[in-house]
Amino acid sequence: MITIKELSDDNLFTAGHTACPGCGVAMSIRNAIRVLGKDTVIYVPASCAVVFGTTFPYGAWKVPFFHTAFENTGACLSGMQAAFEKKGKKVTAVGFAGDGGTYDIGLQSMSGAAERNDDVLYICLDNEAYMNTGIQRSGGTPFGAWTTTTPVGKVIQGNRRFKKNLGDIVAAHEIPYYATLSIGHPLDFIRKVEKAKNIRGFRFLHMFTPCIPGWKMDPAKTVEVTKRAVESGMWTLYEIENGEKRITHKPGKMKSVKDYLMMQGRFRHMSEEDIKKLQMWVCRKWNLHYKEKGAPEVCEIPQFEEHHAVTEEHREMHGP
Amino acid sequence: MAAQTLAEAAVNEGNYAVAFPFFGAERRGAPVLAFTRIDSKKIFSKTQVYAPDCVVVLDDSLLDTIDVVAGLKPQGMAIINSKEKPEDIDLGKIIKTATVNATSIALEILKAPITNTAILGAFAKATGIIRIESLEESIKEKFGEKLGAKVGERNALAARTAYERTITGKSRGVKKLEARKQWLPTHQEIPVGGALIEGKTDAGLIGPGSFIENKVSGWATYRPLRDRAKCTMCLLCWFYCPEGTIHRISDRGDLMTNYDYCKGCGVCANECPVDAIKMVRARA
Repeated sequence: MITIKELSDDNLFTAGHTACPGCGVAMSIRNAIRVLGKDTVIYVPASCAVVFGTTFPYGAWKVPFFHTAFENTGACLSGMQAAFEKKGKKVTAVGFAGDGGTYDIGLQSMSGAAERNDDVLYICLDNEAYMNTGIQRSGGTPFGAWTTTTPVGKVIQGNRRFKKNLGDIVAAHEIPYYATLSIGHPLDFIRKVEKAKNIRGFRFLHMFTPCIPGWKMDPAKTVEVTKRAVESGMWTLYEIENGEKRITHKPGKMKSVKDYLMMQGRFRHMSEEDIKKLQMWVCRKWNLHYKEKGAPEVCEIPQFEEHHAVTEEHREMHGP
Repeated sequence: MAAQTLAEAAVNEGNYAVAFPFFGAERRGAPVLAFTRIDSKKIFSKTQVYAPDCVVVLDDSLLDTIDVVAGLKPQGMAIINSKEKPEDIDLGKIIKTATVNATSIALEILKAPITNTAILGAFAKATGIIRIESLEESIKEKFGEKLGAKVGERNALAARTAYERTITGKSRGVKKLEARKQWLPTHQEIPVGGALIEGKTDAGLIGPGSFIENKVSGWATYRPLRDRAKCTMCLLCWFYCPEGTIHRISDRGDLMTNYDYCKGCGVCANECPVDAIKMVRARA
């Protein structure tokens, strides 16, 4: 296993790119490419990563880079991998898609590649909204979050839907490897990228990448916020290898989700009632992942089983 | 937002005004443009402003890379956020110039390096196109509506403070600035199905890795300062740096930060386990 000290010094993603200060995506792709090495080809669909990393005719990547439409990350990766295989070259085909390009727009293409079990590495950079186009809600946006399409009004405040469980959707394709990563846990991050690099077949890495303007927070707190997300259970670190799920990082005593929320401007409007609702969603997730740890104290106040299935709002929106 | 606020203040005084931004890559800290037209008659022109009467520069680091007064009318005026006096500012020609240290004012009053309201105060003082009172009203209204009355009042205070501290004079005209050349090939120059390969043109590097020529130090308000004695070489700052501007010098077992590419986000200082990194003002 590589440690931080053994990581390569090559800057395959050079400095001088135009990401916002403190960008979580820039951090994640830089360290991913440090582990993946120079025998890598990159595909990026429409996202921030294509805007700040490659502005024609300039580019930050020092490895082959390709970009076409938004919805076809999976298909492009399959094609690139097949072409290199035909030419007899051994490369890792890597796709860096955003949460919009994975949860919503690229889902069918990703599903196709996963179903064919093509030998590619799909990386989802999850910053929980369409940040590049100016912060619109995606399937990955958590409950209560402000975005421009889920504004904070008098009646409805922020996003009313819960974050889609992408992990289970991807894992249901019975792929060799699925893992969730956070930039705030470097050793876990490096180990998972390295593992994914060496496995054959469709691998999926799900990275949690804070967005400074979209989350309305201090740029210095990018890493801190990912740590708090893991401590509160908003983000869980695990991997599914050949159908077997393994928790890779067990946080200590569960921290209230409020600590995590109040760091970010996008949640600051949330009412006590909404926070409680989100806390119940987190509790459910926590109990699912860290079963043996038992339900933490914060979860024992109301009954958490009921929350997600049928709430009043769900009834209003979808009927009984 | 500053351009809009200014336009609204002008409208409140009974003038006509339009304001609009230039749409480009809008990243935090990246250079951006916005235009305001003010007239006592109705304004029919809808284009960008190419020959302005007044140029407002929110960041004096731009003066080194861009000819900010290109197109400015001879009797025009430049208003610059800088700690220098107008006489010490070299714009390549001698023109009426006003300076104010808006970054310091913003840090003092707003506790954030957001200079757009402060610089409006300087604009009011230097040009006299608009009264500071109507500007204050407009700031209170515009910012107050969006961010709460308190924020509105603080921003108005920032404008007033800048109004009082603005120095007017004339710039120096010594240096010669060449506009940065751009290489934009036509579609015939790129082979069909071909790739953009590493290359060098008159305008500098193109293709893979060419962003290395794009210095982004102008984005930074703060920059990290590392205390070598405290540093334990855990390399966390090297790992976390989103710009990749902290380099390892393996043979000496040391780190080096290239400030040319530092945007001053402060992640390294925040994450340092032994607090060896402090953030200091990049251009005090």
